[in-house]
Amino acid sequence: MTETMQLGDMLRRRGISRRALLKYASYMASLMALPPSVAGAMAEGLAKARRQAVIWLSFQECTGCTESLTRSFSPSLEELIFDFISLDYHHTLQAASGEAAEAARRQSMRENQSKYLVVVDGSVPTADGGVYSMIAGRTNMDVLAETVEHAAAVIAVGTCASFGGLPEADPNPTGAVPITKLVTGKPVINIPGCPPLPQAMAGTLTHFLSFGTLPELDALHRPRAFFGETIHDRCYRRSFYERGLFAKSFDDDGARQGWCLYELGCKGPVTYNACASLKWNGAVSFPIQSGHGCIGCSEPRFWDRGGLYKPLSAGTADVRKLIGIAAVAGVALGAGAAALARQRRASTSATEQ
Amino acid sequence: MSAASAPRPAFDRQGERSDEARVDGAMRSFVREFGVTAALHMESCVRCGMCAEACHFYVATGEAKYTPVYKLEPFRRAYLREAGPFAPLVRGLGLVKKLRIDELQQWQELIYDSCTMCGRCTMVCPMGIDIAELVKEARHGMFKAGLIPDRLALMDRTAQQWGSPATPAEDLPDILADVAKQYGVRIPCDLPQADILVTAAPAELVEHTKALADAAKILNRIGAKWTMHHGGFDASNIGFNNGDMQLQERLTRAIVDTALQIGAKIVLLPECGHAYGAARWEAAKWYGRALPVRIVHMTEFLAELIASQRICVKKIGETATFHDPCQIVRRGGLEAAPRQVLAALGLELIEMKDHGVGAYCCGGGGGVVSNARAVPLRHKVFEIKRQQIEATGAKRFVTSCGQCHITFDMGAKYAHWDKKTESLLEIVADNLAE
Amino acid sequence: MELLDFARGPALAFGLVVFVVGSLWRLAGVLLLPRMRDLSPARDGAPPAPLAALRTVLRRMWPRKEFAQATLFPTINSYVFHLGLALVVFGLAPHILFIRSLTGLTWPGLPSNLVYGVGVITLASLFAALARRLGHPVLRLLSHSGDYVSWLLTTLPVVTGLLATSHLGARYETLLAIHILSISALLVWFPFGKLMHAVLFVFSRGATGMRFSHRGVNV
Repeated sequence: MTETMQLGDMLRRRGISRRALLKYASYMASLMALPPSVAGAMAEGLAKARRQAVIWLSFQECTGCTESLTRSFSPSLEELIFDFISLDYHHTLQAASGEAAEAARRQSMRENQSKYLVVVDGSVPTADGGVYSMIAGRTNMDVLAETVEHAAAVIAVGTCASFGGLPEADPNPTGAVPITKLVTGKPVINIPGCPPLPQAMAGTLTHFLSFGTLPELDALHRPRAFFGETIHDRCYRRSFYERGLFAKSFDDDGARQGWCLYELGCKGPVTYNACASLKWNGAVSFPIQSGHGCIGCSEPRFWDRGGLYKPLSAGTADVRKLIGIAAVAGVALGAGAAALARQRRASTSATEQ
Repeated sequence: MSAASAPRPAFDRQGERSDEARVDGAMRSFVREFGVTAALHMESCVRCGMCAEACHFYVATGEAKYTPVYKLEPFRRAYLREAGPFAPLVRGLGLVKKLRIDELQQWQELIYDSCTMCGRCTMVCPMGIDIAELVKEARHGMFKAGLIPDRLALMDRTAQQWGSPATPAEDLPDILADVAKQYGVRIPCDLPQADILVTAAPAELVEHTKALADAAKILNRIGAKWTMHHGGFDASNIGFNNGDMQLQERLTRAIVDTALQIGAKIVLLPECGHAYGAARWEAAKWYGRALPVRIVHMTEFLAELIASQRICVKKIGETATFHDPCQIVRRGGLEAAPRQVLAALGLELIEMKDHGVGAYCCGGGGGVVSNARAVPLRHKVFEIKRQQIEATGAKRFVTSCGQCHITFDMGAKYAHWDKKTESLLEIVADNLAE
Repeated sequence: MELLDFARGPALAFGLVVFVVGSLWRLAGVLLLPRMRDLSPARDGAPPAPLAALRTVLRRMWPRKEFAQATLFPTINSYVFHLGLALVVFGLAPHILFIRSLTGLTWPGLPSNLVYGVGVITLASLFAALARRLGHPVLRLLSHSGDYVSWLLTTLPVVTGLLATSHLGARYETLLAIHILSISALLVWFPFGKLMHAVLFVFSRGATGMRFSHRGVNV
């Protein structure tokens, strides 16, 4: 339902003071590495904004992205986002279902033309005409194309929507593709992660709400504020890495002393995300802190990189058989060469004057 | 040098063959050399340049072109094109250029004038490459191409005719008779039966004939049944030096077959370096099996006689220094023998800075002293030995190779150096105790 | 990330295959050539050939005293390089993991910072070697293009490894990818240039050891 009231008034009505709004804005600004002075502008922008229409499309997904966003442990802050947006379509959260739900989507598209945000989670299957995921009798491809046509921007949430994710992993039977493959002509942000950090999702939405623009993105369309550094860059176990102290197996001495998990396949050095600084579940912990290496879940094709436990310095191809054949081939070629040389030698003796 | 005379080409040439035929001859010969060891060595050079530091030609002149492994460059290219593991690819893709006649001509100087095959480079190479041996193998190809120094070619032809570059075989009985008379010793010649076949070096048959008398004196003292024989009398083997394998085989067989013919058990080699290499180590390959006669060098013969007390020598209480002939010591394995003899003679040995297996070459071996073109270079190189000998302060200077002896004599004359070179055999013969 | 996947996957596999084929080809092609036996009797008391070969392999690790002074630079600099490279390759944990992934063998690693320092020294020795090769008349005369390629493909892994480990110059996954690609390049080149001396030295020294100990000379 489209709201005509400004957000600032609406919040005051609900007992959320201007001070609380400012506090929220400061928190979001600092999360996104924006200067403190921006917080005021952000609060102003938010106060004057109308509730933003958001249509959330769910395709080949596990609903983990929604879980991450809604299970945040600081409800006063993350949940605030739901006060700022009008979530007009969301399979899990919306009250309506069936035809009524689809009708709500179409109505939002009509009433907010060129102004609504499309959030997508899950990859889109394209094999066999896209039959492997259908909603209301229509393929995901169709629904996506129809919905983004008059959208302001598209936010691909989760690694599936950003890069293809698990469905896209070898052998990719459904022909799953990321959203960027199918949406051209509209700005697309990727917020990858399996699932993404709730702050990343909420923060990006807040930025758009406050300033009407998308935050600064990297080459993979990820907001730099959350994906500008690697896990390795902020990992608290970094000093052990530098000193060469590594856990050799799970729960061994080194592991118990909190040593670096490089040897157990940690992909921290090549994974861009904010888990090491923001952490999870209200900053309680993150995988490395719990003793498991980063699996690189916010990077493309992280499932097909040779295995979660293969260290970064090891090759990913299985070369044992190849090397065996290569060895036999090498010796055979060498023997052949020696035979040729012997023959050449013999022929010179034979024709010697 | 008059303005009218044309500049002398830097290489000599034998025969009237076309350039193409020469290159072809060289290549064919090169190809035949590549067995496992030669191939391993050709593959292993890492271009570290350490061999230059061991070579007297480089050390004396500072000229990079005398770097030992550089002498093998045409040989290396032949290897890569013909016998290397990637040879078909190398040829097919043109990765290594074919040998050209001008390169072989240019290399004659490096292979014959500035290499004595002394093997000092072999000692320093961190990859253990026997560069001296490979130079010897390269000479086979150069000979086949008709591109060896003219002097050496002349000596080669002479030896082919006479069985020795010094004198024809038929003159041997007369020479020996003259020597026997001059020095009052018995020198058997052409006996049909003997235990020891004694051989000589070319200089001993011409100007240094006292050596024959010295050997005779010692052999007669021990009552050995020995003879020299016109069938095989010059052990120096110029074919071994020049790279003429046919002549090398012929001269080797002359000695060994003669020994067998007269029932000899021992072939006694003179004080000569390359004679040892040719007969002791390479002779067996012509026969395809170990020889049924024992090859003994004069130096080790003397050491054995002294050790077994078949001869006794007087004690000379003077200081002496010893030049280790390369083919006898470093490449021959007789480092201890001359020192045992010197010790028995009561000579106080003061070693040169580089001695024994690591000694510097006299600079005349491998045919260099016979190569007229190499004279200026040889004189430069001689300074190294001269300074080392002087630095010992020893009274007497001894060696046990005739070519080294000649090199030192000629070098001393050029440098106006008054040091006398003595032969170990001569000192022993002159100091036999009763 | 695509470059890193390519480097760790097909590129490395290609490098390993070419390395194995090429090295065995070259080695077999040489070792299967005819053996020219020395039929002369050995010097009395000459040790058995394999022992003689081994002794020479070990003795040639350091120059004879006659040559030590004149060959000081190549001897010392080469050892700094070889020992440094060995410490880096076999002492750094990620490298040990790489070897483990190929062979199953593993051993304790060295402190990473120490290896970094050794890596810097190794790089310095490489540049010293290049300066010498370009400056010394003997080395300039002897060297051909293959020698410079060998130098470059040996230096690149050291340089890129140092850059990757210090996160200098590009994003880490790019630096790591370039480092692994430089290893593949080295593996592809190894069998065809002078780097093969790493394998050949045993046989080359051994052959000369056998030849000379037969004659009674310890080389």
